[in-house]
Amino acid sequence: MSMIKTENLCKSFHSLEVLKNVSITVEQGEVVCIVGPSGAGKSTFLRALNNLETINSGKIYIEDVLVEDRDNILTNKVKLPKAQRLAIMLELGMVFQRFNLFPHLTSLENIMIAQTQVRKRSEAQAREKALALLERVGLTDKADEYPNKMSGGQQQRLAIARALAMDPKVMLFDEPTSALDPELVGEVLDVMKDLAKDGITMVVVTHEMGFAKDVADRVIFMDDGMVLEDAPPSEFFTNPKNERLREFLRRILTKEQ
Amino acid sequence: MDNLQKMLTWMPSLLKATEITLLLSILSTLTALFFSVFLALGKISKRKIISKLTGAYIFFFRGTPLLMQLFFIYYTLPQLLPAFNIKSRFFAAWLAFSLNIAAYLAEIIRAAIQSIDKGQFEAAKALGMSYSQTMRLIIIPQAYRRMIPPICNEFVMVLKDTSLVSIIAVVDLTYQTKMIASQRANSLVYIPAMLIYLVITAIFTFIFNKLEEKLSVYE
Repeated sequence: MSMIKTENLCKSFHSLEVLKNVSITVEQGEVVCIVGPSGAGKSTFLRALNNLETINSGKIYIEDVLVEDRDNILTNKVKLPKAQRLAIMLELGMVFQRFNLFPHLTSLENIMIAQTQVRKRSEAQAREKALALLERVGLTDKADEYPNKMSGGQQQRLAIARALAMDPKVMLFDEPTSALDPELVGEVLDVMKDLAKDGITMVVVTHEMGFAKDVADRVIFMDDGMVLEDAPPSEFFTNPKNERLREFLRRILTKEQ
Repeated sequence: MDNLQKMLTWMPSLLKATEITLLLSILSTLTALFFSVFLALGKISKRKIISKLTGAYIFFFRGTPLLMQLFFIYYTLPQLLPAFNIKSRFFAAWLAFSLNIAAYLAEIIRAAIQSIDKGQFEAAKALGMSYSQTMRLIIIPQAYRRMIPPICNEFVMVLKDTSLVSIIAVVDLTYQTKMIASQRANSLVYIPAMLIYLVITAIFTFIFNKLEEKLSVYE
């Protein structure tokens, strides 16, 4: 059983094609990193999985259930009951580049609100879970703090905790460290490594090659809206087949040194 | 000295009329506030018909003079629809002001909602929250802090605009002032009347400033 499967996803903004027949499968427990130059369509792909972008055509399966099937942007041929659709979408947790925390709520409330409203948990259950998650991401002392009073790294860890509170089976990370000061990247990556160790399925759009090398089961290279390479990191970094990937790695790796 | 004494003797009747001015301003603004939330949500609705209709409402009430709207409700409506004969001048004024203010407040609220970062909608959606949950729990609580200053501004405008109702003989501060001026043949009465308007707006501006300070804690 695959966790996520896409077939021929296409997406364009006006005349600009950002996804061209993207077909990717992610198995349960896998950590998949998607890398590539900016404008390659990586973020759009991730957002399409979560229905934050509507695809123009293609199919999306989540846990082998077809959730999107389009020939055009207007009609989804899959008609799922609302409750079932919500249940499936809750299998996906999302972490954004710019955190998107709720600034009018404290850390604790940020993690509790969807639990009580969407998962219909009691106040007490939600609080207990929220406190456990805050501890997990190392923010116990920030429970009553508002997000804007916290550093970028702390905010992103809080955002991860907020997504985890819904018990997703897959975590989608959209460049989770790109908006952070360099010295704060490590603490967020550590939390993510910890998650990977626990066996949660992860799809990570990132520029952190070190993370991809160490943690990913598979690394996907996207450029110009297409998947150009899909390989385990050992192969991906040492023996890349695609010419554009070789060029990309050369540029990235010389910059890192 | 003689003049000052005269002004003081007019004070009780002026203050009595001020109650009507205040009552009309507060009632109309509160009524308008209630309707404007729906108008604002209608204006940003994805359903074309709803957004077009609310857009037309807002366009009409912002595009015609408030005084004409007042005349329309008090004189024209009863002629068109005899069932809609408003006997109470105060009620007509209240209705006209509420409808008018609602259009302005709707634009304020719409702008505040749309000023909230798109990422907030996306985060809420990714957590499985519905549109109404997102609006109610995430967007409006943030937007309302941004609405407070312009809404307070609007209220201070309304306080002064209510002087228009004197034209359909609602006994507000302006009407009372005019009465005294003509009965006593003494136009000095406009001085204390204007001072009363100034004091009221000063008091409300002070309260609203304090409110703003309090609400801006997290931003």
